[in-house]
Amino acid sequence: MALLRLRAALLGPARLRGGGIPWSVLRCYSSASAKEKARRNAICERTELLEVLKARVKQLQTSNIPEVTINKVELAPVQSDRHHNPLQKVVDARTAVEHLVPKQSSSWTEKLKKEMYIRQLKVEKKLSIAASQMTPEGQPKVKTKVKVKTKVKAKAKTKTKSKAKSKKSQKSPKATASTSRNQSHAGPSSANTYHKPRVEEMKQDVKAQKPQRVHEDRSSQRKIMQQTNQSNLECLLYLQQPEEAEKLLLLYHSNPMKRKLLNVDAYNVVMRGWARKGCLHRVIHLFSMLESISLRPNLDSYAVLLECMTQSQASTKAIWRCVQHLKKDGFHVDELFQKCLFEGDEKEMVLKAIRIIQPDYQLPPPPKPEICKTALLKNFYSEEKMVSYPKLDFTVQELRERFQQQLEMELNSTITIESVESTKPLTPQAIKARQQLATFRSQWRGAILQALQKSKHNMSQVKTMSGHSVLYPYLCLLPDEEYVDIMMQILNSLSPQGESLAVLARELGSKVYNRYLTQRKLHSGQLEKVQEIYKNYIHLLAKDSQPSEYLPREYWEKLVAEAGYGPSLNLKDCSWPYVLLMRLGMYLLEILVHAVKVPRNTLNPRLPSKLIPVLYHIYSFRSSWQVGLIKPHPIFSQIVSDAAETMLTFNSSAIPMLCPPVPWTSPHFGAFVLSDTKLMRYVDGAIQHQQLLDQCPQVNLHPVLDALNQLGNCAWKINQPVLDIIISIFNDKGNEKLDIPPPVSEAPKPPVSPSSSSALHKSQKHELLLCKKKAAEMHSLRMDALYKLSIANYVRDKVFWFPHNMDFRGRTYPCPPYFNHLGNDVTRAILLFAEGRPLGPKGLDWLKIHLINLTGLKKKNALQERLDYANEIMEEILDSADHPLTGRKWWMNTDEPWQVLACCMEIAKASRSPDPAAFISHFPVHQDGSCNGLQHYAALGRDLIGAISVNLMPCNVPQDVYSAVAQQVEEFRKKDAEEGLRIAQVLEGFIGRKVVKQTVMTVVYGVTRYGGRLQMEKRLKEIEFPEEYLWEASHYLVKQVFNGIKEMFSATRDIQNWLTESAKLIAQSGRTVEWVTPLGLPIVQPYYRIRPTVLTCSMQNLSVKNSSNNNQKPDTVKQKNAFPPNFIHSLDSTHMMLTALHCFRQGLTFVSVHDCYWTHALTVDIMNEICRQQFVALHSQKILEDLSKFMLENYCSPDRESRALWQKKLMEQLSNVPKTGEFNLNKVIDSTYFFS
Amino acid sequence: MRAGRALPGAAGCGRLLAAGLRPLLGGPGPCWATVRRAAGRWPSPGLRVPQAAEAEQLVLRAGGPWGRFIACPQLARTVQRCLQAGSGPQPVVLECAPGPGVLTRTLLNAGVRVVALESHPAFLSKLQSLENSLDGQLKVIYGDFFRLDPLVTGAVKPPAVCSDKLFEAMGIAAVPWRADVPVKIFGIFPQRKERNTLWRLLFILYECSSIYRYGRVELNIFISEKEYKVLTAKPGELRIYQALSVLWQAGCDIQLLHMEPWSSFLTNMKNGRLAIPKSTRLPNDHLCLVRLTPQQNLFTGGLKPANSATFIFMVKQCLTKPRSKLIDRLNSWSLDNADKLLKALEIPEYVETGNVYPEDYKRLFCALQNSSVFTESWFHDEVLESIRNINL
Repeated sequence: MALLRLRAALLGPARLRGGGIPWSVLRCYSSASAKEKARRNAICERTELLEVLKARVKQLQTSNIPEVTINKVELAPVQSDRHHNPLQKVVDARTAVEHLVPKQSSSWTEKLKKEMYIRQLKVEKKLSIAASQMTPEGQPKVKTKVKVKTKVKAKAKTKTKSKAKSKKSQKSPKATASTSRNQSHAGPSSANTYHKPRVEEMKQDVKAQKPQRVHEDRSSQRKIMQQTNQSNLECLLYLQQPEEAEKLLLLYHSNPMKRKLLNVDAYNVVMRGWARKGCLHRVIHLFSMLESISLRPNLDSYAVLLECMTQSQASTKAIWRCVQHLKKDGFHVDELFQKCLFEGDEKEMVLKAIRIIQPDYQLPPPPKPEICKTALLKNFYSEEKMVSYPKLDFTVQELRERFQQQLEMELNSTITIESVESTKPLTPQAIKARQQLATFRSQWRGAILQALQKSKHNMSQVKTMSGHSVLYPYLCLLPDEEYVDIMMQILNSLSPQGESLAVLARELGSKVYNRYLTQRKLHSGQLEKVQEIYKNYIHLLAKDSQPSEYLPREYWEKLVAEAGYGPSLNLKDCSWPYVLLMRLGMYLLEILVHAVKVPRNTLNPRLPSKLIPVLYHIYSFRSSWQVGLIKPHPIFSQIVSDAAETMLTFNSSAIPMLCPPVPWTSPHFGAFVLSDTKLMRYVDGAIQHQQLLDQCPQVNLHPVLDALNQLGNCAWKINQPVLDIIISIFNDKGNEKLDIPPPVSEAPKPPVSPSSSSALHKSQKHELLLCKKKAAEMHSLRMDALYKLSIANYVRDKVFWFPHNMDFRGRTYPCPPYFNHLGNDVTRAILLFAEGRPLGPKGLDWLKIHLINLTGLKKKNALQERLDYANEIMEEILDSADHPLTGRKWWMNTDEPWQVLACCMEIAKASRSPDPAAFISHFPVHQDGSCNGLQHYAALGRDLIGAISVNLMPCNVPQDVYSAVAQQVEEFRKKDAEEGLRIAQVLEGFIGRKVVKQTVMTVVYGVTRYGGRLQMEKRLKEIEFPEEYLWEASHYLVKQVFNGIKEMFSATRDIQNWLTESAKLIAQSGRTVEWVTPLGLPIVQPYYRIRPTVLTCSMQNLSVKNSSNNNQKPDTVKQKNAFPPNFIHSLDSTHMMLTALHCFRQGLTFVSVHDCYWTHALTVDIMNEICRQQFVALHSQKILEDLSKFMLENYCSPDRESRALWQKKLMEQLSNVPKTGEFNLNKVIDSTYFFS
Repeated sequence: MRAGRALPGAAGCGRLLAAGLRPLLGGPGPCWATVRRAAGRWPSPGLRVPQAAEAEQLVLRAGGPWGRFIACPQLARTVQRCLQAGSGPQPVVLECAPGPGVLTRTLLNAGVRVVALESHPAFLSKLQSLENSLDGQLKVIYGDFFRLDPLVTGAVKPPAVCSDKLFEAMGIAAVPWRADVPVKIFGIFPQRKERNTLWRLLFILYECSSIYRYGRVELNIFISEKEYKVLTAKPGELRIYQALSVLWQAGCDIQLLHMEPWSSFLTNMKNGRLAIPKSTRLPNDHLCLVRLTPQQNLFTGGLKPANSATFIFMVKQCLTKPRSKLIDRLNSWSLDNADKLLKALEIPEYVETGNVYPEDYKRLFCALQNSSVFTESWFHDEVLESIRNINL
């Protein structure tokens, strides 16, 4: 996600809209105050309700209505609150309870008044806390609600009695009577007529709420609050301010409500703070506090205590007592060293303590590595067939040097490289602008620093932990200058079109977080340990060391165990909640906007020399909502563009790694040396995936981790001749046809100067707008290409690696965002395997076939025909290779021109070498799945016709599913035309492969009729179909395409429907859809109906969609629509990983772009074989049955109330696995065109 | 006798009939008929106005597209009185989506010349036959007022209509802005697009384009009560007082003519009702007949159709966060001496944007026109951008 974010941020708004992520994730809101008012109104309403209730109570005192009625009425407002603010619910519920509790007060009226006053106070207090947003109180609401209900029932009885008594015993004064009359006047009628339906509603609601979900909601919400709290404490620990941390802890500890938020870890953090200072008595005090609220100390607590005891040289007896205590709590001393995450020298300290009482204590042996037992990989992991890990062409020394380089780069957290534009000559104007910019920048630095320090100072004066001052510790984590650096980076990379506030805030926040993390790794000694392990790890890969039969992960784990680090290489989880990240970002952004100024007359000396802000905040309106944007003033953009600076600054994680990546050994550890990388990418704020990964037995993740390591360990280098040609075109004028974006200076110019634009005609304005839009688009495309090429240029002489991670379905991605092999034709053409292999007997042929595949020319022909064709046009190929820009330019008119060109050059070199079979080639050859999604469906359903059409069945020529569907549709059309259907007649001669292709392709990924029709309409327009029939025709066609697919892939549709329907029922039952891939990767669909949290900031309120913050009800529509495609993606990723792992066993170089597999020309045949074998192996598993079983267990376990109708329905649906056809899966083994 | 029937329903306003005409009513000659017709006073054709139940039948049988219609003759008469209020020559009434024609007939009977713009095929034929039975007092045009001048490029496909075509068909020529109302438009806003329609009208009003190219067209529209409350919100009414309020109040005289409960209107949806928009903050029990008459002096003091988009943009920026200080906004636009400017305009220096009166916004804009703020290119870019976004 970090990568996506980065990319989005740098590409500017035009891209953003395309990507869609940030807009949808974040919206910007207006007016907090109005909200507040609305909230206050809501409270007023509720106060009225309470009034009514009171009246009702009064009434009950006189008339003896059974207490049941009270219960109903009482519950109503509590229920209604649920729709508003959780906070108020607590308030109201509590006040309601208080109100109903019988008190021995003599005067009922007096009490009433008093309570009114108290309640008001409380409401106000709550509101102010609510405004400060960090709402730890929000959490316990569910619990209290439940309690209230029961309490009310119990107490209502006593109350009525006592009230009745008091009424009898004293005649109420006149005043009371009149008020009570007033109230009862309003009371009974409205209470009865108005609230009864609500009571009904609530009853239904209660029924609908499954206890399980309530529990889950609560736990996940509690998790967030705990996370906030924990990160606050951690932050103070890092700052070595145990006093502050303890103060914060006490704040929670002393409040019985907030106390529930605390867990042992919170106390441990504070204890650790004191332990570092050697204050044993404080630690012991906290220990007793911990026990006083009946929390049990855990291993960490004891570790801290022991550490502190060593440090403060406690008596042997004390240590002995402590160890006894530890044992009494059911722990073992060995566990301390097996499970605790130690930082710095903590471990040594604890060991010292233990050895004081047990001088001969030996560290426990490391646990025996577990072996994954997945059926699919039984052989892979079995000990006997161990293969030594393939070596890289580097010595240990070389790899260590590279590691050092990489480490230095990451320690700097950013890297500045020369852009490919730097070869252009400098104009005097540019020199002047650069000077100007340099002066400004140093001024801005000063201004920002000053503003930051001032603001921090103000904050430090405030002593309460509310609102902004909560941020204070987070502003002390780094030296002030680093915050300034981060802000300057944001300023420098801001595009002229501006950027959404939310995106900038997120970027700022996460930059601070990442630097903090780096610092922590440095300070805790974690880095040193990693460095040491890595030094030895290199031996697995270096050519001059002994071969060893380990996988990278296994080897790393072995080294860690040998070094005795245990789990301590993992940093303690210290991630910051998303809301906090945003708040911090907003704070920095506000400083930036206010502090950075530029003289107004910079460009136009005639203007007065007033300082004006460089950044301005403006709203952009999109239909019904608005987005806050930060835009740079045109003066700034102008100087920046004049300066034409040629240095680019990137996060160090945007550059490919210069050494082999650290292998993934757990969901928290792997990839870059320092930069924080997530194993699974997910939307900001989602914690479900991480939770799921943490919960599942780590051994189940081994196959996935190993596959990722495998992909990441592929070394790359740059295809320099191709890169040079691309850069030359890029620096010239670009070429849209070849996908080299031209510079913005080539953008169409508006016919009139924009200065007089107020007097423009509508059409002129329109034209001006179009020009601007085009320019903005061109800018972002150009920048994207500039980044890619510059990074490529930076590593042009190096060997580099792309560490990989995956999305929540297991699809793998390289981590560096701009330049990687997943990129477009241009980027792919620049990349070569660093490792070279001889072409072998068939290699040259494969290169030629690959070339023809890239041209997109002979798709329907057999391999031999493609090869023949390549030989036929050899002259063109050689011409393209020799004179790419001056020759006949055959390569330019192909589907993937740049890769074609690169391939032409490779073929030319190989064919001219004395012995082509011995020619060492670095060139990756691709094999594409033909409509991979449908392949998986066809295999799942064993659809015979379908299987043939997507090449699961051996055939002489490749089958084309699109043509097959088109044919089918044409048949339908003919029939309809004969029956006299008008539109079918009109469509004669229009149905072809092109028309149906997109729809067929996307059917697998869940395109609806609606979307399908739009696609059809577009295609029909392209082939100049008569416009008046367009709608009808597209409508008809999409129906027929769906029918056609249904006909050919009969089981596929059933499976799709079964998946959809199951997901629907699961989502409707209030759960999210989860499953486990055949490789053991747990998957959860992160689609929820989210109520955004509003972040109140002085500049603008941000609405943050934090999926883990609110009541998480699954978004049924998304859950259901996305399940089939996600499930298929989880299968295709499984297939890819299986292929990757087995390719490794055969010593192949293998990488993938989802369903496109790459290897050397020499090994294409082997790879294809493995690919097919693994496909067969995968689908020989009872995938659907297993899924059904898993889901039945998960969603219909017998301990739940299974009598409910929905439960029955769900069970029926889940057990009803669709039937399959009679396709013989083993045929795939012989299918040449399965992947080709 | 005919004259007596000529103004049956115009009880209130009929009395205000131009004094000069009154003595002549007794002896209607052909030339006088022409004169009266020209003045918008037609003899009543004495049409039968369908009863509510009848109209309901008609509407229910029509099916979608859905709309909301006047069925009750009583309501129709009320509306007709409201429309005819005021003296002087009565302009043509353009009735949008008349549906069963209850109001149409009431208007015709009151001697009003009516142009009916109808897009529903079921109603269209009925109206056309009525048109044929009359002597030019009714003109029926196929089209949908709420799809006037569509923004998409390309040919305008009916029922979308072009304002040029529409006005040509009505036989109405453009008059100067300061002249009298050239045409009255009556319609019931479709609720789903209410907000959008209001914004679009606002844009064409300030741009003087589309229907407003023909002069100060008077809108008489039924809008939901909550939207009416927004239109007429006063400064300081947080949340209600919005950019829409400021711009409409600055641009038009807003007059509430009548309020009618939602239930009085007929819909052709199967279950007999159209969704009534929910409203939590504002009352929304009625449809309000509101008259929006563009102000004669709208384009004075520097506000011109050419720069009005900037004005709209400025107001929107200010009122996105109504609790922000006006001066902060001005300063963020890199304005020199914002405090002096405010002082000169006698606007309190630390006023919140949600507390500034519509007129003050206009004065502020005019003053800013003279300063350099709006000539700086960035503001223009933003304005252009915002136009694009709104017009989409």
